[in-house]
This record gives sequence, structure tokens and C-alpha cells, in this order.
Amino acid sequence: MTADDHIVFIVDDDARIREALRELLESHDMQAMAFGSAGEFINAEKPDLPACLVLDIELPDINGLDLQGQIAESDHPPIVFITGHGDIPSSVRAIKHGALDFLTKPFSDKDVMTAIQAAIVQDRVKRSDRAEIALLRQRYLNLTPRERDVLPLVVSGLLNKQAAAELRISEVTLQIHRRNVMQKMAVFSLADLVRVAERLEIPIIHSRRPGGDQS
Amino acid sequence: MTAALLGRRTFLAVTASVAGIATCWLTRTPFGLLAPVSVLHLYADDRAALLLRATWGVALAGATIAASLQANGTSSLNGMSELILYWATFFALALCIGEIIAAKASGSLGIDPVDAMRIVAIIPTDEVRTEQELCDRERELSQFVNLVPSLIWKLNPDGDPIFFNRRMIDYLGLTPGGADKPGMSRLAAIIEAVVHPDDAVSVAETLGRCVVTGDSLAMRYRLRRADGAYRWMSGHAEPMREQDGRIVQWYGLSHDIDDLLATQQALHERERLLWQLVETLPAMIDCAAPNGEPVYRSQRLRAFLGYELEELDGSGKSRLTGTLDAGVHPDDVAGVKEQYAHSLLTGEPYARRHRLRRFDGEYRWVETRAAPMLNPEGAIMQWNVICLDIDGEVRAQEELRLAQGRLARASQAASLAELSASIAHEVNQPLAAVVANSHACQRWLTADPPNMERASRIVERIIRDANGAADVVSRIRALFKQSVETGRSSTVLSNVIAEVCDLMAEEAMRRRARIDIDIETDVPSVALDRVQIQQVLSNLIRNGIEAIDRDSSDKAIRTRVRRTDGAVQIEISDSGPGVEFPDRIFQPFFTTKEHGMGMGLAICRSIVESHGGRLWVEKNEPRGATFIFTLPLDAKMAT
Repeated sequence: MTADDHIVFIVDDDARIREALRELLESHDMQAMAFGSAGEFINAEKPDLPACLVLDIELPDINGLDLQGQIAESDHPPIVFITGHGDIPSSVRAIKHGALDFLTKPFSDKDVMTAIQAAIVQDRVKRSDRAEIALLRQRYLNLTPRERDVLPLVVSGLLNKQAAAELRISEVTLQIHRRNVMQKMAVFSLADLVRVAERLEIPIIHSRRPGGDQS
Repeated sequence: MTAALLGRRTFLAVTASVAGIATCWLTRTPFGLLAPVSVLHLYADDRAALLLRATWGVALAGATIAASLQANGTSSLNGMSELILYWATFFALALCIGEIIAAKASGSLGIDPVDAMRIVAIIPTDEVRTEQELCDRERELSQFVNLVPSLIWKLNPDGDPIFFNRRMIDYLGLTPGGADKPGMSRLAAIIEAVVHPDDAVSVAETLGRCVVTGDSLAMRYRLRRADGAYRWMSGHAEPMREQDGRIVQWYGLSHDIDDLLATQQALHERERLLWQLVETLPAMIDCAAPNGEPVYRSQRLRAFLGYELEELDGSGKSRLTGTLDAGVHPDDVAGVKEQYAHSLLTGEPYARRHRLRRFDGEYRWVETRAAPMLNPEGAIMQWNVICLDIDGEVRAQEELRLAQGRLARASQAASLAELSASIAHEVNQPLAAVVANSHACQRWLTADPPNMERASRIVERIIRDANGAADVVSRIRALFKQSVETGRSSTVLSNVIAEVCDLMAEEAMRRRARIDIDIETDVPSVALDRVQIQQVLSNLIRNGIEAIDRDSSDKAIRTRVRRTDGAVQIEISDSGPGVEFPDRIFQPFFTTKEHGMGMGLAICRSIVESHGGRLWVEKNEPRGATFIFTLPLDAKMAT
């Protein structure tokens, strides 16, 4: 792990904690950005890197748990909560809403570093996942409208003949479209194409099962 | 008639005769004849009979006639003998006539002129005396009948009234013949006239029946008095019979009993009211003999207990023992018996709260009070006992006490939790920074090569943050110290202890413990925070009560206050099992109690120390523990 392939965001109203955490992270050769309030964090220009959000519960503007709720819809880095006095209801709520860990101050070096690193790994996976889907989506968008019609039929498992009949085109034309789809989506087998379609959440609208929807 | 009276009469007659004759002779006029007339007047007074006045009148007339005859017929009185003759004739004549008239008027018969002469001549023969006495007796009898303070009447065998005495006539305001009415018997007429309309029928019936059967009569009825008021009478009549058993007449007596009846009725009414009061008072009432045996119970008490007093008899036990054993709660019965026996022995009033079994088997709290009723000599005649059902109040009180206790504990716990949370936050913030910095510092130092510059910068921060944490702690202490100091004032310790004992009395009583207080007389006032010291005292006393609760041989908490060198020392001793961990009990969160928080003694110690005193524990002899704390006499505060 190098210093510039990830970032840790620290949100705590206590400057001493921000300072100390940053120092600790730097001693572990990790990059950190610190914010004194939820507002500062939301409005800041943040590098697009695998990240972790270390969030204090007691904040001057809004509560850390409320901030978690606000950013839940967007792609936010995993959250590690830190608090001066952790009560059970708060910790339950935090974990239920997807927090990675919930640490009470003073926390040990080992606990906080383990949590932060786990968060960054998780974020890295999530990010690469997201990047891959973005690439696939881009390829999908390069398909012609007719090719986009062909794709769901092919991945549904219909025979070329059936698919051609469905689209009222000749079997030869369908085969050309199918080859183009495979090329544009950069897959080498039908199985790969099915997986890609799944990741893109392309609905399987036809079934070859007897009695299936043939209309 | 007594001899003395006869002598007096003789003396008067002789004196008057001599004086009269002398006057006639000396004046040569018949005016001397007036002398016997005066004697007659006196004589009449002596006889005390109204009718004799008539004699006097006749005598006066006779004297006047005689005087005029004498004046007209003879020119003068020549000789003494002639004069005496005249006088004697006149005197005898006057007296004789007067006496005859008197005798006739008084109703006595059979007096002939000769007798009258004898009487007049005051010749004390036996016959005359007998006649005289008979006459007097009759007169006396007549007076007796008329003046006796009762109404006396007489009926003929048919029941018609034939005689009423004077008093009755006056009482009823009867006029002679006024009761007679045409068409009805005298009896019916008189009944209608004087008997109360409501009683008339029964009087007539009863009287009629008695007349027929000859039974004696006794009844009560109302008669109308002369003034129109009806008054209750008690009437009795007895028949008088001839030798052959025939009823001759009825003698009756009526007596006015109206005042008596009114008094009796008032008494009855009063008794009824008192009875009602006793029976309907919203309390259970009991009366007992001087030895405590119950003799009466009010309806409410009987209803509460569900049995009658008589049912206690024949069980072999006394009524008192029976009732106590049957009713009082088994846990309370010994105390009740002891105290009641004490009261019976000494005559001191009794008052106690205990549980009493109701008819349905439920034990309810009651308050029983008893006081002796004394006779004028001061001896106990009876015990009057009142018993009130206070179950609701007692339970409400208990609930309230428990709720108060819970509330106090809850608020204590809540404020403690709140306080500790905010202290924790204040302290943890710099501590978290210190910990994180320390780890960073360690990493810089162990890096290859070590980054000394960054490490030393971090160490500075560590020092800064650690001091910050220390500042927080001293700020909190300062906060507490301030609040303590403002509440402190010079206080008499015995008052504080008395208040605490009042507060604890209920709990002590419930656990059957006793709080003994022993305060030396020369203990001076101490500067203290009253509430805090009360907290310490109540905590230590409660601990003591709870300690002896488990072991019940000696149920006293001894509180002792004495002056030592420069301080006041307060000792609280119990006889419980003692302290197992004397060096740990003052630590926070150390407890030997099942539901204890382990904060009580820690708080006590911190309060005592904030007052500049000390709190420690010693072994009590022969057993138990003694908690001792001191409060310095000079008002120097601990820092």
C-alpha cells in the first residue's frame, strides 16, 4: 500500500484528535484529510481514491449518525465511528446502517488501524467493481439499437433461429448482429456475455422453457 | 283538742267577762258586752274553722240586740248581780246559737243544744271531748282529702263520679254541675270534658270493664288541666265492698306524672341517641371490663370480625385471649398482648397499629386505641376501645415510601450516570489523542531510520494533551468544591442527627430496629453542609439497620457524638456480622449487598473528607462494626 493510492478522511471537532490521528496514520505511511465538521467534509474537494471515513459521533453541526444517513445514498467510503462515550443504541444504529466499526475513545492503535485498513480494502474492492461496471456500461452504450435488441434474446438462451423469428429478421442477419455484440462487448464466449449481461442487469425477457413467453 | 287550748279558752273567757262586766258597771253602758264578742273572735281563730266566723256574726248581732234592749228596757244598771245575770244570759245565748250553726254547717250531726251548751260553757266532760275530737278528725280528714297533692275521686258502683276532691276540682277547673250534660251519664260527660280524645275510648272501656268485673283499675291517660294543657296521669281505683262482696263505691286516685314521663322520655331519647351514635360512628367500638375482657362490641366491629362476642365463650380461653388469638395477625399478636397487658396493669392509655383479621380472612391494618374510664375515686370501671380500619392509609404510606426510595435511587443513579458520562467524555477526548500520539511516536521511533524530529514533536503534543486531561479533572474538582463550600454553615450536630433519626424512624420501625442517641452535652457547633452530613448519617445508619436485620439478637443502632481534640467525633455502631473487608469497603463500586451500587461509603468518605474530616471503620465489641467520622472544629476546608 503506498501513500498515494488511498486516503483517510477524519471528521472530528476536537483538533487534538484530528492531529493525533493524522500523525498516527502518517506514521503508518497513510494519507489523511481532516475536517472539523460534517459540513466541511461534505463541501470539500476530495481525491477519487479508495478511502475510509473516520467519523466522530459528537459533531458541532450534525450528529455523525445523521451524516451517515445523509450520505447513505451516494457512493461513500466505509465508515469507522469513534466516540467519547459509546452507548449501545448508537452503536447498534451505526452498524445496522453499514458502519464498518464502532470504536470508543481512547482506542488502541491496533484497533483503529485494523478498522481503517479493512475499510480501505473494502472500498478498493467496491471501487474496482464500480469501475468494471462503468466500462461494461460504456461498451453497452456503443451497441446499435438493433444490437441492444439482439443481446437480451441471445443471453436468454434462444436459438439463432428463434431470435431471428422474434425480431422478424433473417437468421444470417441475426448472426452478424450477434458477432458485432460479442466484439463490442469484448467477450469471447456466450457464457462471458451472459455474465456481462447479468452484471449490467439486463433483464432476461425470453425463456426457452416450454410454455415460456414466446409472443 | 288539747288541755292547753281549753285552758287558754277558759282564761280568755274569764278575762273578757271580768273586763266586760267592769266596763258595763263603770260606764253604766252596755258596751262592755262587746268584750265577749271579741273573745268569740279569738275563739273562732283558735278553732281555725271558717264556719265559726258565723258564730261571731250571730254573737255580734246578739250583742247589739241585747245592748239595745238593755238600753231601752232599764234605765240603768243598778246591781252587780243583775249585770252578771244579763251578761251570762247573753253570752250563753250567743255562743249556743253560734255553735249550733257552726256544727250544722260543718256537717256533723247529732249535736244537741245541751251539748252545745256544754261546749260553749267549756265544760270539759268526756262526751264533749269525744264529740270535739270526732269533729276535729272529720275536719282534718276533709282537709286531708282536699289538700293532699293528688286528685282523689269517688265513683258509685255504676262508675258515675260522685265526689272529686278540692284539688281535683281546681286542677281540672270543674264548675259545680258543669260536667253534667243531658242525654249522657255523668261519667261519659266528664270523660268527654277532661280526658284526651285519644285516650277517652280506652278510659271509658277500662273503667266500664272494671265496674263490671270489680277488678282494681290502673291505667295511664291524659287529662286536660284547667289551663287547657293535657297532662299524663297515672290513675288507680279500688272498689270498696260490703261484707257480702257488693261494691259500694270506688275510690280513685289520679296522680300527675307528666313531668316524670317527660323526663323519662327525654332520658330514653338521649340513651337512644347515644346508642345510635356508638353504633353508627364510622369506627369500631369495643368496651372491656377492667381486666380487659370485652363486654360490648358495636355493630361495625361485629360485622368486621364476623362473629358475636358470645361465641368466644366456652373455648377454655378468656374472651380477651380468644379474640386476640383469633383476630390479630400472628406476627403482631405478641406485641399487642404485651402492650395491652401493660396498659391494663398501669392504666396507661393504649395505642397500637396492627393487622386484624377480617371476617373474610383478609388481614387489614387497624389502629386501636383504648383509654380507661375512671370512677370518682380513680379506679378503672371500664376500658373504652376504638378501632379504625387504616389499611388503605398504611398501604398508601408504604407505597409512597417505596416510591420515594425508588425515585431517590433512580435520580441518584441518573445524575451519577449523567455526571460520569460527561466526565468520561471530557477526559477521554485528550486521552484518546494521547494514546494515538503515543502510538505514532512509537512508530516514528521504531522506523528505520527513526524520525526523531516528528517523534519529539508528537511528545510535545502528548504532554500538552495529558495536561489537558489533568486540567479537566481539576476543573471538575473545583466545580464540586465550590458547590460544597456554598452550602456550609455552622450547625448544631444534635439537630442534624435528630432530623436523620426522624427520617429513618419509619424504616427502623419496619425492621424493628432501635436507634439510640448519645450526645455529649458540650459538643460545639460545626461548620458543615447539612444535606451532605445527613446523607452520610443516613447512609451509615441504614447500613447498620441492614446489617442487624440479618441477625436479630440485639436490634439497636447506637449513635454517639463526642468531642475530641479539635474535632467532633460521630460513631455509629451496630451489632451485625461486622465488616469483612475493612480496607475495601470505601472503594467505589465495592459492595457486599445484593442490590448495592457500591457507591454509598465512597460518597460518604468523600463528603467527610471534603469537610476536612476522616471516615473509618472499627470492630465493635463484642460484635458488629462501628463507623466513625470526624468533623474538625475549625472551619478550614479541605482542598
